[in-house]
Amino acid sequence: MKNRHKPKVAFFSFTCCEGCQLQVLSCEDELPDVLSLVDIVNFREAIDEKRDDYDIAFIEGSISRQHEINEIKKIREKAKVVVALGACSATGGLNCLKNRFPMEEVQRVVYGDKAKKYKHLDTIPARPIDAVIPVDYYIHGCPITKSEFLYVLKSLLLGKKPEIPNYPVCVDCKMEGNICVFEKGMTCVGPVTRAGCSAICVTYGCICWGCRGLIDNPNLEAHEETLKRYGLTTEGVLRSFDLYGGWRSR
Amino acid sequence: MEYRFLPKKGIAPFVTGLLKDFKVYGPVEKDGFPMYGEITSPKDIHLSHAPTHLSPKQFLFPPKETILRFKNGAKPALEPVIEAHNQALFGIHSCDIHAIKLLDRVFSYGPRDVNYLKRRDKTVIIGIDCVPDKYCFCKSVNTMTVDSGFDLFLHDVGSGFVVEVGTQTGKNLLYKNAKTKKATMKEIKKIKEIRDKKAEMFVTKLNAEASTLPLIYSGSYNSPVWEKIGKICYGCGSCNNVCPTCYCFDVRDEIKTNLTEGERFRVWDACTLEDFAKVAGGHNFRKTRAERLRHRFNRKFQYLADKFGGLFCVGCGRCIRTCLVNINIAEVTNELIEEANKDRS
Repeated sequence: MKNRHKPKVAFFSFTCCEGCQLQVLSCEDELPDVLSLVDIVNFREAIDEKRDDYDIAFIEGSISRQHEINEIKKIREKAKVVVALGACSATGGLNCLKNRFPMEEVQRVVYGDKAKKYKHLDTIPARPIDAVIPVDYYIHGCPITKSEFLYVLKSLLLGKKPEIPNYPVCVDCKMEGNICVFEKGMTCVGPVTRAGCSAICVTYGCICWGCRGLIDNPNLEAHEETLKRYGLTTEGVLRSFDLYGGWRSR
Repeated sequence: MEYRFLPKKGIAPFVTGLLKDFKVYGPVEKDGFPMYGEITSPKDIHLSHAPTHLSPKQFLFPPKETILRFKNGAKPALEPVIEAHNQALFGIHSCDIHAIKLLDRVFSYGPRDVNYLKRRDKTVIIGIDCVPDKYCFCKSVNTMTVDSGFDLFLHDVGSGFVVEVGTQTGKNLLYKNAKTKKATMKEIKKIKEIRDKKAEMFVTKLNAEASTLPLIYSGSYNSPVWEKIGKICYGCGSCNNVCPTCYCFDVRDEIKTNLTEGERFRVWDACTLEDFAKVAGGHNFRKTRAERLRHRFNRKFQYLADKFGGLFCVGCGRCIRTCLVNINIAEVTNELIEEANKDRS
């Protein structure tokens, strides 16, 4: 690999908690190898350097303000490959919960009555980045899993298309040997949610909240019926679907 | 056939003895439900007679298994990986023993699957009688009892266990690790009494002889039942993954971050998943959930029966329990039986 041109990689962050970038930084064992394969030219959370010549852009966060639209379009123009990094970027994520309310109200709740006077406090409904620019690949999850980030990066470097699971979390649960959440008297959205997380939440006693978004063809009608059969109201069902799926339900 | 009598308090020392030579897997409790898991002390064993949520196939055909290590670069290298250790599967029910016998045939058919077969060679199986729950229908598919495929089989006759010796290996293990005596005729007769009682306990039943099911399925390709269940199916693969006879897998490569070394591994795959039948170019020859379910059911009752000469549904009922939308393989089969009867009359 030595003589090859090292691809330049940049990380960008929009509306989010920046936890997915932190996951990248916590790949401590692999980072020396990663740095021998790529040049990182823009990564606000890790380095001071900021260059605008990059091949691969990993973009974290959803788009929730007008000026972010302009910024991300510039990134798309420069990058050969754009990868959505994490739930906010890939599906809109938790940020889309705000879309249930009028934007003026959201602004007032967060910044107070005078908020609307200040232009820099503007806000628009939160959206995944592919609602604004074309996206080449997706790394799902809230946060992303380190292994999947590395897998996608390695695939891109090898010129292979990364295969992201298109089966639901139920598969991961069975492979992990978990007792089904529904058997334990709880409910989850695992049967319609994209796997690839090794069902980590269920494995550690929680439920699946759906952070990796829906599989390509989820049977949502069936899942609505199931959730109701297990005691959820229509409102409860909507809440289950909306936690991470707010953008989709609009 | 040799029958020995083992008092109940003899189980703990027997298991302690097994632990010296084997990794032992047996029935444990997880979150209050019966499962198979590793036993590190006799105390771990939870000898309920209820069916476990996942099948013991995981110990012979693990969900994820490395099969090859490779190295690229100037001097490429390949090294096959076969992971197998001495293991004892303890407390296996007759349906699951039937299932393992079917897997043995599948993995020896055509190119021999060395990973499975090596592991199988190093495995001893100790069966135990069970009590059907509301999903079990082994009696309808002739797997309620088993006369081979185990090294030892424990029949709980109340006062203790009558141990049926299946192989010389089993006999050696029993003599080495337990104090037993020859079972009396009365104790042996008790096995049949208990079995007769068990036969009356089934809630789930098929309404036709097991031998007629391949024919019934062969005439059911265009039945409306497939669309009906396809509509409510998630395509989540749970029925496949809990099934003791589903053996499909996918093969993938994983490369290290140095981009030169890596592993090839196989993982469970499931024919009810959307991408199972997706091929190059994005074509999918079983696009709908209805088509995929019809395929799965036919694999159990027709296609593999034609190929291997026995039903591939062992009536364990796990797929019924796991299905969140209540697709019931026994009810569906009964609907097909009814349709076939109507067509005939």
